[in-house]
Formats: sequence, structure tokens, C-alpha cells
Amino acid sequence: MELRILNLAGLAVCAVIFGACEKDIDVDLPDAPEQFVVEGTIEPGLPPFVILTRTQGWFEPLSPTSLAGIFVGGATVTVDNGDGPIALDQVCTGSLTPEQLVLVSELTGLDPALLHAVDLCVYASANTALFGEAGRTYTLRVQVEGHELSASTTIPHPVPLDSVWFKLAQVRPDDDSLGFAWCRLTDPDTTGNNYRWMARRISHRSDGSAEDPFYISPFGTTFDDRFINGLSVDLNTVRGRAPFSNKPEDENEEAGFFKTGDTIAVKFLSIGRSEYEFYKSYEENVSSSGDIFSTPVNARGNIHGGLGIWAGLGVYADTIYCE
Amino acid sequence: MRYPKKRTVFFKDERREQCMPHLYFRAAFGPYMRTFLLIWALIAAFNGLRAQTPSTVSGYVNDSTSGEALIGASIFIKEIGKGISTNTYGYWSVTLPNGRYTFTVRYIGYATFERTIDLRANLKLDIDLRPSVTEMKQVEVVKEKRKSNTESTDMGRIDVDVQKLQTLPALLGEVDILKTIQYLPGVKSNGEGNSGFYVRGGGPDQNLILLDEATVYNASHLFGFFSVFNADAVKNLELIKGGMPANYGGRASSVLDITMKEGNDRGFHGRGGIGLIASRLTLEGPIVKERGSFIVSGRRTYVDVLAKPLINPESTFAGSGYYFYDLNAKANYRLGPKDRVYLSGYFGRDVFDLKGSLAGSPSFRIPWGNATVSTRWNHVFGPKLFMNATAVFSDYRFSFSGGQDQFAFKLSSGIKDIGLKVDLTQYPALRHQLKYGMQYTRHIYTPSTVEVESGDTDFDIDTPSKLHAHEAAVYALDEYDITEDLRVNVGLRFSWFAHIGPFHEYLLGTDGRPDGAVDHGAGKIVKTYSGLEPRLSARYRIDENSSLKASFNRNMQYVHLASYSSVGLPTDVWIPSGQNVKPQIAMQYATGYFRDLADHTYEASVEVYYKDLFNQIEFAEGATPDEGANTNYDAMLVFGKGWSYGAEFFLKRRLGKITGWAGYTWSRTMRLFPDVNHGRAFPSRWDRRHDGSLVVSYELNPRWTFGGTFVYSTGQATTLPVQRYWIEGRLVSQFSERNGFRMAPYHRLDLAATLKNKPEKTITDKTTGETRIVKRRYRSSWTLAVYNVYNRANPYFYYFTTEGSTSTGDLRPQAKQVSLFSILPSLTWNFEF
Repeated sequence: MELRILNLAGLAVCAVIFGACEKDIDVDLPDAPEQFVVEGTIEPGLPPFVILTRTQGWFEPLSPTSLAGIFVGGATVTVDNGDGPIALDQVCTGSLTPEQLVLVSELTGLDPALLHAVDLCVYASANTALFGEAGRTYTLRVQVEGHELSASTTIPHPVPLDSVWFKLAQVRPDDDSLGFAWCRLTDPDTTGNNYRWMARRISHRSDGSAEDPFYISPFGTTFDDRFINGLSVDLNTVRGRAPFSNKPEDENEEAGFFKTGDTIAVKFLSIGRSEYEFYKSYEENVSSSGDIFSTPVNARGNIHGGLGIWAGLGVYADTIYCE
Repeated sequence: MRYPKKRTVFFKDERREQCMPHLYFRAAFGPYMRTFLLIWALIAAFNGLRAQTPSTVSGYVNDSTSGEALIGASIFIKEIGKGISTNTYGYWSVTLPNGRYTFTVRYIGYATFERTIDLRANLKLDIDLRPSVTEMKQVEVVKEKRKSNTESTDMGRIDVDVQKLQTLPALLGEVDILKTIQYLPGVKSNGEGNSGFYVRGGGPDQNLILLDEATVYNASHLFGFFSVFNADAVKNLELIKGGMPANYGGRASSVLDITMKEGNDRGFHGRGGIGLIASRLTLEGPIVKERGSFIVSGRRTYVDVLAKPLINPESTFAGSGYYFYDLNAKANYRLGPKDRVYLSGYFGRDVFDLKGSLAGSPSFRIPWGNATVSTRWNHVFGPKLFMNATAVFSDYRFSFSGGQDQFAFKLSSGIKDIGLKVDLTQYPALRHQLKYGMQYTRHIYTPSTVEVESGDTDFDIDTPSKLHAHEAAVYALDEYDITEDLRVNVGLRFSWFAHIGPFHEYLLGTDGRPDGAVDHGAGKIVKTYSGLEPRLSARYRIDENSSLKASFNRNMQYVHLASYSSVGLPTDVWIPSGQNVKPQIAMQYATGYFRDLADHTYEASVEVYYKDLFNQIEFAEGATPDEGANTNYDAMLVFGKGWSYGAEFFLKRRLGKITGWAGYTWSRTMRLFPDVNHGRAFPSRWDRRHDGSLVVSYELNPRWTFGGTFVYSTGQATTLPVQRYWIEGRLVSQFSERNGFRMAPYHRLDLAATLKNKPEKTITDKTTGETRIVKRRYRSSWTLAVYNVYNRANPYFYYFTTEGSTSTGDLRPQAKQVSLFSILPSLTWNFEF
């Protein structure tokens, strides 16, 4: 994070002094072979949930139709909890009720409006034998269009937060509404704990518009206990921005802040090492788009034969009332 | 693509040395030793045949007005048709059979000195050369020629006339010696505005940058846009890109040897300038007339002052500022005819403050810079033996501290050197020079440390141990004319490096994370490396105007620069060799044809080279500085190799009203890391297939001088995403081959015009009414420069972004090019007295 700030600062200085400019260009990218992408999670008490997509050329036009085209249906997806593989069911959004769409939106991070507009298929199971259990290992296998993808993950035992609270940031001395979410974490005395913070405003504003559609993990909140092993630390986080959000509070001075009156649902995830590596590199990848100050990083997934992640999540849940 | 053949690599570890010294010796010395002994024997034989050694003439060549030593002045002895040149301290020595000789001493820009001497005994001959002032004289003088290009064994060795740089266009009027060397063939820049330079495929850390013999670790200001060398304080600049003589070592690719001015020992003088972004002032004068002198030179930017009114005081970052300053100081004193001492120092800092003016917004302070001090003692043991002993201190540090709310953190890194060096030059006979010496450096590295605290809780980040090391070398070289036409410079260097305690070594578990530690005590050897570095260059004269040259060198480098970014930011970290990090090794083979044209008005050369680089390092893909804490300093590194080959064409006009050069390089530079780019070879960032430059200076009359430069190079290699996919509703880019794309070609034209005041003025004697012309004491000039004359938008970097939103279904992917400098005029006023 520090490095990035330095880089941005450097650029800012240069821009001020020299009037750096930028322009749109056309870049001729070569065709690359299409790959399959898995985005799968399993949490304690919930069924496994798998989205299967395919890569597109970077400049391929984006439209609801082209987006729908990347979702891959008709695959054979199985999850094995050690007692033998069980097939997941294909669920397509076209057949869902609005309430179910909201649920799928929460799970996929895709806008409900988009889900409503296009018919796309995901994989889940109502079989309680596959509902997640902490400490258990789950192996995923996908057979699709002649390809085979596989991955395995273990749901870590969740590490609870001691407490969570809201504190005013006092951006201006007289400001009494904007602030950050805080938590106190007591890290267990063994190394190797990896965490990821997610939060979602579940309150409604008076116009009913501000609610987050799903849990959002702000960049920089995937971390491990390298520096805090066995310690109790207070950590603060900003409010994450939903992907491509153009809501006013993501573009005005409220961006990044929670606000008095918000109710925040917190999911504090304990994750394994390869999951940590994935989310960390994923954040790096998404937040830098190939600028000169960073070396380009591919998201380092755990899927054999494809891209993406199959993650067991140890979930500790809590709620903050911003007062 | 030729894959470099595996070659035997000689380094050792301590245990092996202890138990099997003889085997080690054979392994290390065997392959080279036989060749060297043979060559040495040959030289000794010739030497014996010629040794008559009746009398020696020796002395210094100085500027008559300032007392500055003249480096590389030629001393020609008419009767034997041969000559030699002065060393870095202006010293020369020649041994001849007794007799009558005419000595002609020449140096460009100075009147020729000639004296006939009846040599019967050893003679000390100090020569003061008078600078030519008027245009007429200058033309006369420049007609005198030096035949150094085809005469010397030097390959890929270039002297830059610092005075001349003042008339070339410079970015924002700041004359930058490092940018000028980027115009030379074989030397690449790293994109727009960057002072970093890359020699024959070598990385930015592979250049030995010496300022009065002290190593400068980071030679740039403002994220690379300006170099730390204030041209007003620099006397001489020499770049060696191949055929590195054995007296230089510790770096794999090149030497940039910068000599500071000594200061005028005859009278008090000053010079300075006021530019667009910085001002300079230099003062010099005698300490004791004609015995000792000093020079002090300072420079500071005022961008912070200028930018302040432009920053909205209401904005989040009001109060932010950036500035850099340099201070050069040097003093020298002649203790007697045989002894002279020098003390020189450099101190420079960049300070960048980012102040969040509002509560809760982050604040940062980022100072970094170099400090060097060198103390030298020149002693003439006898007319044939010259010694220079140097004690050097060099300190580079970077820190980055900041805070937001109750968090505070600090990131720092640096390197500190204390060293001692003794170099001896022996002149046994005419056209025979021996150099030998030793060097020792104690290094203290701060690889990268992070401190974080939140309120009262200190994060558990180990205070990272500084890393300690010894580095030592001994060398000998012999430059000798074997026949009238064949001259060789053969040298051998033996270098040794030890990483020593205190060292807190983390023991890594199976997951690569530390699960234990071992402490190595202070001074205890953790790991040693050593190796032989043979250096050989030879010149064969085809005829009076042309020669063929060839060189080979093997260089070892025990320090590495690891970079998180690709533009040479101060966040780059110096890392010593150690248990896992092996020393860098370079092997370079070069050959060339050199020719003087049109009665020595032009020099032309063609050189081809091939270079292998072993034990190169990079940070693992995606590594960030925080991951380096609480583990070994080398835990985030990956290792690989590189190679480079190319052809360089150079045409220089040395004499006349128009001077300058044209250079063109065709080259290829590759890297191969098993853990990068899926183990496939990839072009390095500074790989440029075509690279050309044109540098012209035109002196219309004593008042007007015009300068122009044009550069063209193949686009920089860059890594771009080829595919995209979605995770958590965000767009993830899938990158393809490392550096698999080329940005648009880089080209730029800069022009400058300099107007000086009249060099002379007319004085009328009030009593007699007679008028006479005298030289002005106060000189001043205006330089108008235009950077990027035709306003080319050269790419600085490309990035990919999207516009629109998925929710509205109109997301548009777009590639963007960022360019830094549009057309930029600048005006600088310079003065001297």
C-alpha cells in the first residue's frame, strides 16, 4: 500500500510540474486461448456455490449479451467432502424469483439488475451433506466442454473479533457523520492465520437507495498475522465500493466512509494460505491496471486446469450500528 | 536466439576453501592462469629487451589560469614519434634514453606547449597550459590533433566534455550529464525523462558510478527526472561500457567515473545560474595560492515554492511540497612536490512532503539522498611510481514515513560504505604502464525495514537486522606495446566478499514462512564468495588512421538492486550477496574497428559485443515491501540470467565550428528466470532493437552557440493484459508474456541557443586617450532551450481501464497512453567571474 501511495504521489508531483497528459490509444492484442474460470465458495452451514465463466479478449465489447455469454452452463460440477463426490445442480437466473435473484446477487457480487436482464447459470446444491463444516476439506471437480478443472479447499475455524464499532473520522472538525468501521482482533498464538474483511450496509436510507447489494471487501483488507501474531490490535477499514458503482455516495465526499445511521453487517473471514494468496493478488490485479509503477500480477488461483478460486471460508459475523 | 552456453562459474564457499585449498586454487585459477602467465612472460621478455631506462621526465599538466589538473592531456615526443597522456590527477611520466627531445603538450581548448630538453638526468616538468580565449586562437588550437581514438586500447570508452554540455538543450534548462551519456551508442535510457542508464543490456545497478572515487548508489533526483550531478562542479566524465580495466570492479556492466573540479588555486572565481526550476552557485578560490584550492557548489530546486500558489489551499493536500538540493565541496593542497591531498564531499537530498491538511487524511514525508566523502592522497614515490590512496565514505538512504489517524508507519532502506583503496601506477618505460592496487570496503545494508504502530499497539515487526559485509579486491594490469602496432592491456582482478554477522537468519518451514531462527554473531562469516576477473583488451593498428580492437572481461558484482517497479524509484532496494543470493557475473566479448577520417576531423567506429549475465535477481511476481518483513531479506527474490548482443555505430566530428556525433545501436537484451513468465525468456525493459541519436553543437561566433539533439528508439517493452474475466463482479486482467508488447517508438528533437556577452571590452585610457581591448572578468550567457520541439506525445506507460458501468450495460474497455513532457521551453541565465 505504501508503495502505491508513493507512486501516486510521484505521479501527482510530475503531473503538477510538467503537465503530464494521457490519450486513448488502440492496442493490437493477440488472440489468446480461452480459459475457464471458477469462482466458488463454501461456508459453514451453507451449500457450496460455484460460478463457471470463460475468459474474453480484453477489448471484446461489453454488453449484457456478451456478459451472459461468459457464464458456462451444462458443466458437470461435483464437490467431495471426503465421503465421495456429490453433483451440484445448475441454477439459471431466468427461473428465479426476485427474492432468489437478490440471494444470487449477494453470492455472485453481480448487480441484481444485470442478473434480471440476462439468463445465466450457476451451480449449487440443496444437499445438506455438502453444507460447509469448519475444519473439513472439500474437493471440487468440473468437467466442461472436454476440459477438467479441479481444486481443493479446507474451511478454517473462524477467528472471532473481540468487538466491532464505528468511529467518526473527523475529516473536518465539525463533521459528525462520516467515519470508519473498526474492529479489535486477538490473533491466536500460532502463525499462519489469514483473514479477509467484508462488510455490507444492510440499512436503508430514507430514499431506500444506499443499501449495498452484497458484501464488499475493500482493497487492502486481505491480510495475515505476520506482523500481529498473538497480539490484540485495533484495525479500521474504509467502506468498500461496489464494482463499477456510480452511486452518489461513491463519488462525492462520502466515498470510503460509513455514516451515522448505517447498519453494517460484517463478515470476518478466516482463509487458508492459497486462498489468501489468491485474494491478495486479485486485489493487486484489480487495483492496478498495468501501470509502470507496479509489475503486472496475475491473480494466483488454486484451480488446476483453469483460473479462479475455490475457497473455504471460516466466517465470523457481527453487526455494527453506526451511532 | 542463441542461448548462452553454460560456463564455469568460479566462486566458493568458505568451508570448501578451508578443507581443500589446493583444489580450490586450481579450480579458480587454473583455466585463466596459464594464459595469463604466458602473456605475462611475453611482456616481460619484450620489456627486458627494451629496458635501457637512463632518465625519466615526469610531472603534472595544469590549467594556467585555474591550476586545475588536465586529465588526458597528450605529451608527444617528436624525436621518437610517440606520446603518452596524463592520468586522472594530471600526472605523467616517461622514461627515455638520454638525449635531446622536443616535448609537445596538447589539450583541446588550450594553446600548445612545446619545449626542447637535453635529457641527462631525471627531470620534473610541471606544465601549465594556457586556455585559448579568442576565436582565432581556438581554431588554431583545435587543429592540433589527438589520435586517441585509434591509438589507445580503450574500447567502449568515452570522455564527455562537460563544458560543451552547457550548450546542448536540457530538460527545463537543467544540464544533466547522465542524460547526455544516454545519447551515446550502447547506452539506453529507461523512457521519458529518466536519468537511469543501461549499458549493453546491463541493469541500472550494474553501473559503477564514482564521484571522486566514492560510489554513488542512487544518481537521480525527483523519481529519476534529474541526475544528482551538478554540471558546474564536474570537471570530467568518463564512461567505460566495455573492456573495463582491472582497476575498476564491483559492477558488472560499466563505469561512470566523474571527477569534480578542484577549484582555482590562482584567484577567487564564481559561477552560477538561475533556471526555471533551480538555481546554482559555485565559488572557488585558493587556500594558499598555487598550493591549495577549494570549490563549493550548491543547487536547489524551487518547484515547491513555485507550485504552492497553484495548489488550492482548500484541497486535501495543501501544504505538500517537493524539493531537492545538492552540495558539492572539494579542497586540495599540495604538501610538497611529491604529495597532494584532496578532500571531496557530496551531499544531496530529495524531500517530498505530502501533507493532508484535514484531520483524518494521510500525511507522508519521503526524504532520500546520497552523501559521499572521499579523502585522497597522491604521492610520487619516484618519477616512475605514482600512488593514490583513497578513503571513501558513501551513504545512501531512503525513508518513507506516514500516518493516518492513529496509524503510523515507516519504511526505510539504505546502504553505507566505508572503504580504503590504494592504487599505484608505474611507468617502467615509454609505452609501458603498470597499475596495481587493492581495495577494501565495509558495507552496511538496510535492505528494507517496516515499522507500523496503531495507537499504543506496536505491530510485531522484527527490527530487521542490518546486513554487514566485507568486500575486497586486489588487481594488477599492464598496458604495453608488444610491437609498434600491437598494444595490449592485460589485467587480473581477484575479488572477495563475505556476508558477516550479526545476522538473524530465519529458518523457513515447509510453507515458506519462518518457523525458527538462528543468530550469527557479530563478525562471524555467514557466507563468502570470491572469484577471478580477467580483463583483456588489445589494439592492432592497421595504418596511421585505423585500428582493430578486441576485448574480453569477466566482472563480478556482489551487490544487487531489487526493484518493485520498472522506473528506478528510490524504493528500489540494495541487497548484498548471501546464502541464497549469488554474486552477479558478467562476461563480455567485444570487437571493433576504429577509424579517423578527413585528417582527424572525424572519428568513426563500429563495435559489436556479446554479453552474458549470470545470477540476476528480481522480486517474485507480485511481491510487495511488507512481505519482506519478519523473514529473510532474500525470501522474496527469484533468480535468473540474461544476455545481450548488439552492434554500435559511432561517428563523431571533433573539430571545427560544428561538433557533435551520430550514434546508432542495434541490440537485443533478454532475461530468463525459471519463476518468471513461466520460465520462458523475455526481453528486458531496456531492450531496444533500434536506438539512434544525433547531437550537434554549432558555434556561430564567440557570442552565439546553437545546440540540438535528436533521439529515436524502438518502443519500450511492456506487459499488457490480453484477457479479462470476472471475480466478485470485478474485472480481472490476465496478463500474457512478460514484456511481450512494444509501446510506440520514442523520438524527440530538442534545440537550444546560447548567447554570451562579449568576451572582451574596450577600455579608453582617460589620460592618453588610447584604447585597448581587455578580457572581461564578468561573463554571462542566456540559454534558451526547447524540449520536444515538435511536441511528440511519447509514451511513458500504457494502462487499461474501463468506462461506464456493468449495471447500465455500457462498460467500455479502453487502453490509455500517459505521456510526460509536451513541448517545454526554458530559459536559463548563467554567469561566471
